[in-house]
Amino acid sequence: MVLKLVGNPLSTCTRRVAIILKEKQVPFEFVLVDFAKGEHKSPEFLKNQPFGQVPYIVEDDGFVVYESRAIGRYIALKYRDQGTPLLPDPTDLKAVALFEQAASIEQANFDFYASTIAWEKIFKAYFGSTTNEEVVKEKLAGLEGKLDAYEVILSKQKYLAGDKLTVADLFHLPYGAVVSAAGFDIFNETKRPNLARWWKDISSRESWQAVKDRADA
Amino acid sequence: MTLKVYGLPQSSATQRVLVVLKEKNVPYELVPVDFFGGELKSLAFLAKSPFGLIPYIDDDGFILCESLAICKYIAAKYAGSGTPLLPDQSDVKAVALFEEACSVEESNFQPIATGIVVEKYFKAFRGLQPDDKVVEECISKLNEKLGGYEAILKKRRFLTGDNMTVADLAHLPTGTIIGDVGVKLLGDPDKRPNVARWWKEISSLPSWLTVVAEAKAA
Repeated sequence: MVLKLVGNPLSTCTRRVAIILKEKQVPFEFVLVDFAKGEHKSPEFLKNQPFGQVPYIVEDDGFVVYESRAIGRYIALKYRDQGTPLLPDPTDLKAVALFEQAASIEQANFDFYASTIAWEKIFKAYFGSTTNEEVVKEKLAGLEGKLDAYEVILSKQKYLAGDKLTVADLFHLPYGAVVSAAGFDIFNETKRPNLARWWKDISSRESWQAVKDRADA
Repeated sequence: MTLKVYGLPQSSATQRVLVVLKEKNVPYELVPVDFFGGELKSLAFLAKSPFGLIPYIDDDGFILCESLAICKYIAAKYAGSGTPLLPDQSDVKAVALFEEACSVEESNFQPIATGIVVEKYFKAFRGLQPDDKVVEECISKLNEKLGGYEAILKKRRFLTGDNMTVADLAHLPTGTIIGDVGVKLLGDPDKRPNVARWWKEISSLPSWLTVVAEAKAA
């Protein structure tokens, strides 16, 4: 029985997991959650994902994991020996620490700003709400500041954790793409050439190209 | 060389690292930074911590930023000392549940609880009035999230199971401040008995109480 990815094809977090599944060449079955019917708030759903969020995965032995980054890490670890290597050498404490630093930078320093911009500019409209431009302006200023630090880091190394690609880089893809598509030139080559180089590298990967529009591709 | 922590005893991110160091019985030196004097914006500081944030550690020349990464590093390096705070690294499923709990803290707890802290703690510090609407929104969101926590903790002593991990401790600093400013959602046994039980257990740890006492004394 194949791994089930339970989510929404357009959801950024569901697509985050799909990228990793593609990189690690792990076949999966996509299971659609009907938000309109409130399926994500049903008791059956909440048994698997107590916060009523997508995505989560179900393994054939019934093992459930939620939180897209935890799922991504789990896939990268379980399928360590196939597809693209996406985690550091577990016996190298410092390499692991630098990877954890990169993963934290993405979740704590990038996602907070990028996901709020994405919510305000794009996703809010789906729920009949209007953009709060003040919030967008504030978060964009915050994001630009963070990306200046990314520029410094990426001027010294190829990827966020060092010279090897890890899940920490790939986790940026969904929100990075949504914010760019919303018209914010955050990966401008002239402004931050190293950030632009890094973004071009990760966003041109086959795995992202395959799922950038839909996670169930 | 004794491990150096660059931060402040009152900084919540620094406190996460300090409680882990104490639980693991790791000797360290806390090097206070001149926060209000703009040290975090200086070139020398940015050379070590490119986002201009505290804490960072210097472990015999190895520089590491991001409190959660630091906590995990210490817990791994000193795995054999003090309280075990990581899952069995050879157990892929246990590691997954640990990362799940860390991510839950980072995405479902931290941003919302920090919203309360900004309004009711930091603003007061600077003589500004809190935005009650924002506070109300944050409390409402946090209540919803804690429903999820209650479901998890009904079946488990700690977030990942029987053993305490970095994922539980990560909640302590921000969780404590929101209680201090009157938002007593974590400790309410009538509303959510299992969250209250878990919160009581981790917030009564001698290591945590020492971190709090040291912050007050500073």
